[in-house]
Amino acid sequence: MEPQRQNSGYHGNQQSLRLRQASSPASNQNYPHFNWNSGPTEEDEVDGSETQRDLRALGLPLGLRRAVWQVQQMKIPVVSSSDSWKLKRAKTLRTIRTRGREVLSFLTLWKKTLQKIGGNFGGGVKSYFLFLRFLVVLNFFSFLLIGGFVLIPSIVLTSLDAQLVNNTEFWWQPELEECLEYDPNPQGLVRFYDYLLDLLSGTGFMESSVLFYGYYNVKQGSYNLPLAYLLTAVFYFAFCLICIIVRMGTAARVAVATGGGAVGNYSSIVFTGWDYGCLGDRATKLKQNNIRYQLKVDLEEERLKQQAAALTTTQRLLLYSLRVSMFFLALGFIAAALYGVAVATENSQGRSGDEGILGLIFEYLPSIAITAGNFVVPLLCDQIASVEKYPPTITIILALLRAVVLRLAGLIVLLSTLWSQITCHGHTTSGECQPCHYDHKNYPCWETRIGQEMYKLTLFDLLINLATLVLAEFPRRLLVDHWSNKLTQWVGRQEFVVPANVLGLVYGQTVVWTGALFCPLLPLINTVKFIVLFYCKKLTLFQNCRPAMKTFRSTTSNFFFLLVLVLGLSIATMVMIYSVAEIHPSMACGPFRFFPNIWSIVPNSLYSLSDVTQEFLFFIGSQAFSIPLFTLSCVVMCYIIALASVYGKSVALLRAQLKAEGKDKQFLVKQYEKLRQQLQIPEHSRGP
Amino acid sequence: MGTTASQLDKDLLSEYQELTFLTKQEILLAHKRFSELLSKDERNFENTRVSMERILTLPELKSNPFRERICHVFSTSDQKNGSLTFEDFLDLLSAFSDSATLEIKSHYAFRIFDFDDDGTLDCGDLEKLVNCLTGETDDTRLTTDEMRQLINNILEESDIDKDGTVNLSEFQHVISRSPDFVSSFKIVL
Repeated sequence: MEPQRQNSGYHGNQQSLRLRQASSPASNQNYPHFNWNSGPTEEDEVDGSETQRDLRALGLPLGLRRAVWQVQQMKIPVVSSSDSWKLKRAKTLRTIRTRGREVLSFLTLWKKTLQKIGGNFGGGVKSYFLFLRFLVVLNFFSFLLIGGFVLIPSIVLTSLDAQLVNNTEFWWQPELEECLEYDPNPQGLVRFYDYLLDLLSGTGFMESSVLFYGYYNVKQGSYNLPLAYLLTAVFYFAFCLICIIVRMGTAARVAVATGGGAVGNYSSIVFTGWDYGCLGDRATKLKQNNIRYQLKVDLEEERLKQQAAALTTTQRLLLYSLRVSMFFLALGFIAAALYGVAVATENSQGRSGDEGILGLIFEYLPSIAITAGNFVVPLLCDQIASVEKYPPTITIILALLRAVVLRLAGLIVLLSTLWSQITCHGHTTSGECQPCHYDHKNYPCWETRIGQEMYKLTLFDLLINLATLVLAEFPRRLLVDHWSNKLTQWVGRQEFVVPANVLGLVYGQTVVWTGALFCPLLPLINTVKFIVLFYCKKLTLFQNCRPAMKTFRSTTSNFFFLLVLVLGLSIATMVMIYSVAEIHPSMACGPFRFFPNIWSIVPNSLYSLSDVTQEFLFFIGSQAFSIPLFTLSCVVMCYIIALASVYGKSVALLRAQLKAEGKDKQFLVKQYEKLRQQLQIPEHSRGP
Repeated sequence: MGTTASQLDKDLLSEYQELTFLTKQEILLAHKRFSELLSKDERNFENTRVSMERILTLPELKSNPFRERICHVFSTSDQKNGSLTFEDFLDLLSAFSDSATLEIKSHYAFRIFDFDDDGTLDCGDLEKLVNCLTGETDDTRLTTDEMRQLINNILEESDIDKDGTVNLSEFQHVISRSPDFVSSFKIVL
């Protein structure tokens, strides 16, 4: 064994002791030992997939693996019929699984593009495009859901010319006559460019189309359209929530298993930092620059931390007071932006009846205010961050949080302003809201109006993205490439900033969720919008951008993106719950016009079911059922929490065991040295 | 056994599917790309060995700073010149494929980083590794002080048994804590 030791560096390090063999002529190669005598027949149950996995996971070259496989094949003669059937079944399952995986990879959207993006710009940018693809697929399937249950039946019933239901047995008073006045169709002569304006603002011919809530009516027929409308909206939200949580589960599992990864930063950068998918010299050089920059920054940060720990008390006090004041300043900026949105919304509602382009601008005033705020405030916050002098990681997280709060709060302010105007600032029984419980003069069909606002926000978001592309990014690249002086070199090419772009996506998706109840085609519009956005962003990425200097951890950030998406979904859910339960539906339009609130369709439909079903459903809703269910869920949750903590403890225990093993080795080596010196054994080459 | 003229026969294909992590399409694509590296008469021989220089003309490997180490690790040649047969090439693609396990990837990553092939990563290996990562030219290397600080930090974090080198289990411990390794240790044709 001795003379072979120089080349056999991988002897003891391979998988486990059972793979070691006493001596073998093959040991003079750099390959781990393999025990030819062990095999699947040793175990009682024959699991074909395990064998295959073991085989492929060996660090041997293909020729040796083939020899092992052939030996294994020869060793399975004495297998009982049940075992051979199990083998066959395992094998067929495996073939089905591989075939299924091949089909799935064929159907995956944009696979080659994403590979190219990842190779040239890294995992962080690729995670943005993966997120975008997820949203496209989500919106498309949501549209199929809504289309199947709401759109198609509605169109079919309209074409069948079903009778309009006149539920006058519901509470009807003659003074509610004025609440019924609503005519969205344009009157008189329509100028040709009015069609374009209508397309952009959702009024006119668009308003009475299938796009908005106002089109749907309560028709005679076996299909209960109002109930379908409401339940589809509820299932849509549930479907989106389930998809997001499933996706978060995979990301969270990885994050938990790796335990944060705060310690061991340098080793992980050096050992796992290289991306082997990098194609071409340019990408390689950029990746190398990236890694070098990251290492230098981390080393510098370490030195700065040592310096900061040596700060005097006065300096530290000064720094903290500065940070507190900057925090309030940032809060002030955000509050100012939100106030601007509120003012813009109020003015827009008042002046949107204006003619022509001015009217269009007033229609889009809320969108303009939100976009302006989203553009200006992060810039200001960046300046604030340079004063605050937090460590770089905290700066990034803080900037993201501020941007998230700004975007979602802007949306909430817009909606609350709208609502307070619709419900006359909460007093539904006085003033303008007198007979109809909502402001019927300004909002004869308020659901359509909210749908229009969401539609305008979506459209405006897309237009702004396209405009930024054409007017800001392409010219910037042309300037930097063809006119080199100090200024352009300092400004440099556009950097693809992942967090800001992701927040834009989350904002767009939240708008769609908020508006889905009132504008059923919005998911379809959003699918198209995101597809257009994908290709535009890809274009700008390859033509105009250089990769970011700072890396962006893709796995932990995936989890964060999905978390922010869930936040947006919860905001939209709150909006939906409020609209469904609190506000009186319009009497002039929509499928819920005869109900005091949208939710009351459910109890009404319940009474038309058979007695047994009714009793069953009432039982489920009663306390006798829900309290035990709640208790059971608590028990299950406690069990899962206990399981999670046990796994966490095992991970910590195994890590400690690894350390202890190392210490044992050190101890044994010291003992060996001592013994050797005592017995004066001549030294020869030591093994691993 | 080996590759025949221009087609891969079915038995061989299913055998490769059994023994590697590659799908059928990936094996066929690998065969096509490998055949393009061979000259016309070489294609008729079985088990031709392609020299490292020709392998490194593949765009996926051309600019990889570890390209020579990769060829040396997967090569089964007796002269240790980094030349690859088709089966070595499949081994390479299998270790770098989508469905390869973390264990096999970390095993091969360790061998690629072990520049002197002694079974552990010592200071010399680490220094060469960092130079590959940051770029080989003088203005892209780290300064000597930074290199020293970096190697000390790495050994402090990952050398558990304090023997001044990183062995395979310590290496795998670091790898297992990094969630991005499996997706970045990937070469797809």
